[in-house]
Amino acid sequence: MARLSRLIGRLLDLMMGLSCLLILAMMLIIVADVGLRNMGGRGLPWSNEISEDILYLVTLLAGPWLLRQSQHIRVDILLRALPPRVAWQLEWVSDLCGLACCLYFVWYGWRVTAASYATGAVSIKTLIMPEWWLLVPLPIAFLVFSIEFVFRMHRLAAAERAPRTEAVSAS
Amino acid sequence: MIMSWQMAALLLLGGSTAFLFLGMPVAFSFIAINIIGAFLFLGGEAGLAQIVRNSVVSVMNFSLTPIPLFILMGEVLFHTGIALKVIDGVERLIRRVPGRLAVVAVVAGTVFSAISGSTIATTAMLGSLMLPLMLSRGYHPTMAAGPIMAIGAVDMLIPPSALTVLLGSLSGISISKLLIGGIVPGLMLSVAFVAYIVVRAKLTPSLAPPTPFEQRSRWESWRLFLVYAVPLVGIFAVVVGAMSAGIATPTESAALGAFATIIMAMLYRAMTIEALMKALKGTTVISGMILFIILGATTFSQILSFSGATEGLVSAIIGQGLSTFAVVALMMAILIFLGIFVDQVSMMLITLPVFMPLVQKLGIDPIWFGVLFLICMQLGLLLPPHGLLLMTMRGVAPPEVTMADIFRAVVPYILMSLLLLVLLLLVPSIATWLPSVLG
Repeated sequence: MARLSRLIGRLLDLMMGLSCLLILAMMLIIVADVGLRNMGGRGLPWSNEISEDILYLVTLLAGPWLLRQSQHIRVDILLRALPPRVAWQLEWVSDLCGLACCLYFVWYGWRVTAASYATGAVSIKTLIMPEWWLLVPLPIAFLVFSIEFVFRMHRLAAAERAPRTEAVSAS
Repeated sequence: MIMSWQMAALLLLGGSTAFLFLGMPVAFSFIAINIIGAFLFLGGEAGLAQIVRNSVVSVMNFSLTPIPLFILMGEVLFHTGIALKVIDGVERLIRRVPGRLAVVAVVAGTVFSAISGSTIATTAMLGSLMLPLMLSRGYHPTMAAGPIMAIGAVDMLIPPSALTVLLGSLSGISISKLLIGGIVPGLMLSVAFVAYIVVRAKLTPSLAPPTPFEQRSRWESWRLFLVYAVPLVGIFAVVVGAMSAGIATPTESAALGAFATIIMAMLYRAMTIEALMKALKGTTVISGMILFIILGATTFSQILSFSGATEGLVSAIIGQGLSTFAVVALMMAILIFLGIFVDQVSMMLITLPVFMPLVQKLGIDPIWFGVLFLICMQLGLLLPPHGLLLMTMRGVAPPEVTMADIFRAVVPYILMSLLLLVLLLLVPSIATWLPSVLG
């Protein structure tokens, strides 16, 4: 289990590294677009659309890593006020709900993607691409999320009978 | 499914609050209530598939792109060490003022605010650098910790601010005008903080004993400020200027600002691959936290609206016959109350679906409302016992500073923020004047 967890950890690091590079790329694309337009050119007409796609990918790529690092924001005021053992039990409830949400996204995400593929739906903005290209990252990312939730519960089982310390804000 | 709007509101608002308090990550709390809500109110199976489609397009939203870019500006500043030079630069200039180091913290914090989109980063930075220095010079812990937390919170008002972009994106209020609208109230708070520190230190010198400073030539006194702080404020001016003049969208301004910050760090020979990667990682962490909540919560307002809860709540509030002013004051009171318990992103997601229809129906100036909203969120960062910046300060403060010291330290600044809120309620032009002149 520990070896498998490390292996997934490496995958999460890789996904996180990729999202960092995507943010850098997004900045450079927008700057290039503004620069080219102000030099009298057409700029990069696809820059808006690609920036939007990058935001979406960054969210999905970084999400599972943030879960492993306990960096998803939550409200822990009640957990801190309850007896540690009860709070630890609530952590289980919360993790099971989280896992159920992820599995929902895997299942319905996959169904929506498959339906889009079957009908040959196309996304037409500046760029034209099959719609399923945009849909398919969602179930994949939530599959990784689901796996990480299982490891998260495994860690909880071995942890002190008390609430976890996690991020409480992103401001 | 037929359900009274009261039941629907209780289920959706109460359910999301229950999941939040259960300690589930905010995003998953909203996903869970959305799944239940979509099944009940959006046509069962079809509603469940709709959530997937909504989630995909939720963050593919051009109005959200400034968020990571604004955060990147601040992260570059901190990870390249330029922030330290700015503090040094300010410290060399502020000399014969009572409570000198506390004033330095506020002024340096204001300069950071103009380039950083993250309140935690500003508070942690100033807390870890200025707090030990002030304590070692005999400052009372309340005099040392208070200004740092207070100015950290002001970072949210002064652009660039990631949360302001989010507020604009979620509420439909002009992001440019909202960013610009935060400038005057933010600066007013900075000035009020400095005035308070000076008066307090003058009346009770033991709180902030006079500190020695090195005698330097005029050029040496100004050099760091001119070399490091002024160009950064220049970037801020270009970002805000380009946005307000309509030359660039908030996204383009943010990208240019982030790019200029990186180039400037290179010119200072402060940029390394390691620093850039750290800055990008810090950016991805904060952006990922915010964007993932948006992805999870995106269908919430739609379900609330479909269930009839939004319309029911809005009609019930309007039906009370309250004046517009009273409704705004009530909304602010709710926000301040929520700020005691929940984070800023959740505050927006829970309240905006009901507040924005009220703003539209009552003809409330959205910029005024948005800036008031920002001040309430800023207050939420400081309110005991769970204010985020109090916790951030606890994390970086030396052990001799107790939690009680931190609570006491922040009280005067909370009162000043509340005063500003009241002033803004009475004189809306404080918030709307600059956006109307520049916009």
